Amino acid sequence: MSNVPNQPDGPRATFLGKVVIFAFIIACAYGAYRLFVQGRGKTGGGSPASAAKSLFGGTEAPTAEIGISYGTEKKNWIEWAVKEFANTDNGKRIKINLLPMGSLEGAQALVSGDQRIHVWSPASSLYKDIFVQDWQLKYSKAPIVKEESLALSPMVFVMWDERYQAFKTKYGELNFDTIAKALTEQGGWQAIAGKPEWGLFKFGHTNPNESNSGLMTLVLMAYSKAGKNKNLTPADVLEPKFQQQLTTIEKAVSLSSSTGTMMREMVLKGPSAYDAVFVYENVAIDYLKSAAGRWGDIHVIYPKQNMWNDNPYYVIDATWSNADQRKAAELFLEFMMSEPVQKQALTHGFRPGNPNVPVIFPQSPFVTFQQFGLRNDIGNICEYPKAEVINNLLAAWQRSR
Amino acid sequence: MSRLARCTIALVVLSLGACQVGERSSSSDSSSAPSHPAAETVNLTFTYGSEKEEWIKNVTEAFNREDHKTAAGKFVHVEAFPMGSGELIDELLNGGRQADIASPASAAFIKLGNVQSRVKTGKDLIGSTDSLVLSPVVIAMWKPMAEALGWPAKSVGWSDILALARDSRGWAAHGHPEWGPFRFGHTSPESSNSGLISIFAEAYAATGKKAGLTVAEVENPKTAQFIAGIESSVVHYGSSTGFFGKKMFANGPQYLSAAVLYENMVIESYSPNYSMPFPVVAIYPKEGTFWSDHPVGIVNREWVTQEKQQAAKVYIDYLLAKPQQEKAIPYGFRPGSTEVPLAAPIDGAHGVDPREPKTTLEVPAPEVMDAILKIWHANKKHADVALVFDTSGSMKDDHKIENAREGALQLISNLSDDDVFTLLPFSNQPQFAVKHVALSSGRAGVQQSISGLWPSGGTALYDAIDMAYRDQMAATEKDSGKIAAIVVLTDGEDRDSHMSLDDLLKEIQFDNEHHTVRVFTIAYGSDARKDVLKRIADATQAKSYEGTPQNIRTILRDISTFF
Repeated sequence: MSNVPNQPDGPRATFLGKVVIFAFIIACAYGAYRLFVQGRGKTGGGSPASAAKSLFGGTEAPTAEIGISYGTEKKNWIEWAVKEFANTDNGKRIKINLLPMGSLEGAQALVSGDQRIHVWSPASSLYKDIFVQDWQLKYSKAPIVKEESLALSPMVFVMWDERYQAFKTKYGELNFDTIAKALTEQGGWQAIAGKPEWGLFKFGHTNPNESNSGLMTLVLMAYSKAGKNKNLTPADVLEPKFQQQLTTIEKAVSLSSSTGTMMREMVLKGPSAYDAVFVYENVAIDYLKSAAGRWGDIHVIYPKQNMWNDNPYYVIDATWSNADQRKAAELFLEFMMSEPVQKQALTHGFRPGNPNVPVIFPQSPFVTFQQFGLRNDIGNICEYPKAEVINNLLAAWQRSR
Repeated sequence: MSRLARCTIALVVLSLGACQVGERSSSSDSSSAPSHPAAETVNLTFTYGSEKEEWIKNVTEAFNREDHKTAAGKFVHVEAFPMGSGELIDELLNGGRQADIASPASAAFIKLGNVQSRVKTGKDLIGSTDSLVLSPVVIAMWKPMAEALGWPAKSVGWSDILALARDSRGWAAHGHPEWGPFRFGHTSPESSNSGLISIFAEAYAATGKKAGLTVAEVENPKTAQFIAGIESSVVHYGSSTGFFGKKMFANGPQYLSAAVLYENMVIESYSPNYSMPFPVVAIYPKEGTFWSDHPVGIVNREWVTQEKQQAAKVYIDYLLAKPQQEKAIPYGFRPGSTEVPLAAPIDGAHGVDPREPKTTLEVPAPEVMDAILKIWHANKKHADVALVFDTSGSMKDDHKIENAREGALQLISNLSDDDVFTLLPFSNQPQFAVKHVALSSGRAGVQQSISGLWPSGGTALYDAIDMAYRDQMAATEKDSGKIAAIVVLTDGEDRDSHMSLDDLLKEIQFDNEHHTVRVFTIAYGSDARKDVLKRIADATQAKSYEGTPQNIRTILRDISTFF
């Protein structure tokens, strides 16, 4: 399968069409979410197992074993869900194997025939069109028989609170411009806050060639510099001020291959590893408590321009996947979308894909963790840029390293 | 990648292969045999950095007892082997034991192994990893000495330590002339992770930088001068960080003022096994340090079948689960799971601070690493080594003399041109073959002398050590800037000396002033008196080994890392 940065421009109309479809899915997911936050839904109750019983009470589940390739940002939630599913009647017949993989890695494994995978669930639909195109070239048919957005999550900056307060005092706010300034301060934290013992300012994001959140970082950095929410153009990417900022940040940034791994490293190694990172909101929420118990509080800061990660669940029509396995994959999807499992998604920081599950209620992390900077309204949502813009961004990123 | 970078990686990985030799064998520490039929069991081999041996031994034995199964219903049995991290990677690259799971001391080893593997096979050696446990690299120092530097109120860094190391006044510069000179210890950067990190930190301190170190900055004469000043205070080098720590805790501040160790070893020093005059504390250098993060991953080689991969996942998940992670804490490790909070003994009562370190240093680029190693070689503390070599008649048996000669030649090849060498063969009586020969000009002659040794006569061991010791003392008085050491290789019991063991022990007893020559001993073969040789080595604060014709070359290579 082709890699995004190496993707030839190709017929623009075809790709544009795919981008439109992609944007439509995002819009649908966002629309569903907005409807839900406006209070349309009702809270569900009971255990996941009992919910599953009511959902699938009359259906005889097949005996099957399936593999799900998923991004590490969903690790804690999906591992919990698989354990719960195993306690249901269906779960006793359906064995789920979880295969943690980067978004692009999962698509590549499928196209190259990894027979362990029956479901692909990356962080966002960003790579879907490229996957579909490559699959069709190899197998001459559409790869996806069913798809649904499991949950939503925007991008956020995460910073150690003590250092964020010092940063804010110096620069006013945290954004890509001020990060670039901090990264170029001679003497690092000594110049920023008179704290030489904090060392140099350390910022991290994931590798855009390996991880969805890394590409999101480049896109939002470009939107931020261009000062707009849509119609990002190749000219915006080639604009000298953006190129300069990209080079400044990327020469000093610490790259990681996966969002979950980077956030975990931030919590385990504390501010000695990262002062600030750019990650999914759910990943930040998932680690808020464990971070506070080690190195002090962390603070969540929303960029002015943001994008949704829709966590799609694709049931794959592979030659190695039989009807029972596809049915099993769909039954597990229904379980994932059930209210108790979606409520659990909230505790792991996701905004539920099921509109019947509310975000705001007393125990919600969006209420209990407000002091860490979490908020329901995330500001301006940018549209996904065209393929040529993404290609230009990745090429510029390669040059900047 | 560049040829230079490949050379560096090869140098570091291959030389790290020498780690831990002689101190321990790399035998399994979870030796319980599989208790289920072979057809129902997936057997896994796990090689890991020996720093976490006690914890891995504990949890792996429990894992094997608990009958864990794969999804397909097969029992999983794990055999775990502690090794030096470099040795572990080297073995995977060359096939060897064909481990299925690996966990070196730091992610740097995985990176180095993957680079080599990609050159060789086009694919990585080890895929994605998780940290099993963590421990930062710290400067371990006796508490009163740390307080004399202003700790804990004042942040102390590599630059402070290294300035003290270069100050000829020693502790007198900080109001404590009674403590004598500042004695600093770090392992050999060619053999040990913490040694490599130490010289990176020296290069950063020399240039005043925290990141972006360049080859030109490393090659600046001021950097060389700075590093030479620090290295002059080094007591000796060595291959094992654990050995340094244990010697420091056992021998007190007169042996070492400070050493570069892992945080978990500082915690270990509070064990009742040690009777120390003062507590040891961890200094987290203000300029930054490095983490030892113990990554674990499944080996990406053809022998790791899909069934083994699934079984490996079961074992790795078990190690990362809360109960096993909680068991790592009493061993002084920070857990690799975010679900397990930090707790005692990772606290001030055990000399460490869970809120540290505040920053880290950047790992230099491969070509900068190569430049730093070269500068260290040229400016390290050099050695004056005497080899006391048993040529008694019994050395004829079992090819002992041939293998010992090969080992001695290995020792010579590992010494640098700036080192000085003495050869004292002995049987009924000792007689110098070569004395204080500079290897820059006399290496070939020394090699010739070693190759010409043959066995005959008795064993005047104590007289030989006495003669070598007096000679080394005299040499040290003339030039105190070298590591003065004696290496004794003998296969039998003393039968022909005029001097008694008690008199010898009195004479060579380390006193930190005049009697500072270290005597490393090798009990070669089954007839050697291991107990006597250990007493001799211990009296001089050196290390004793048990050798055979099969491992003698490896032992002498390990001894060479002290110089």
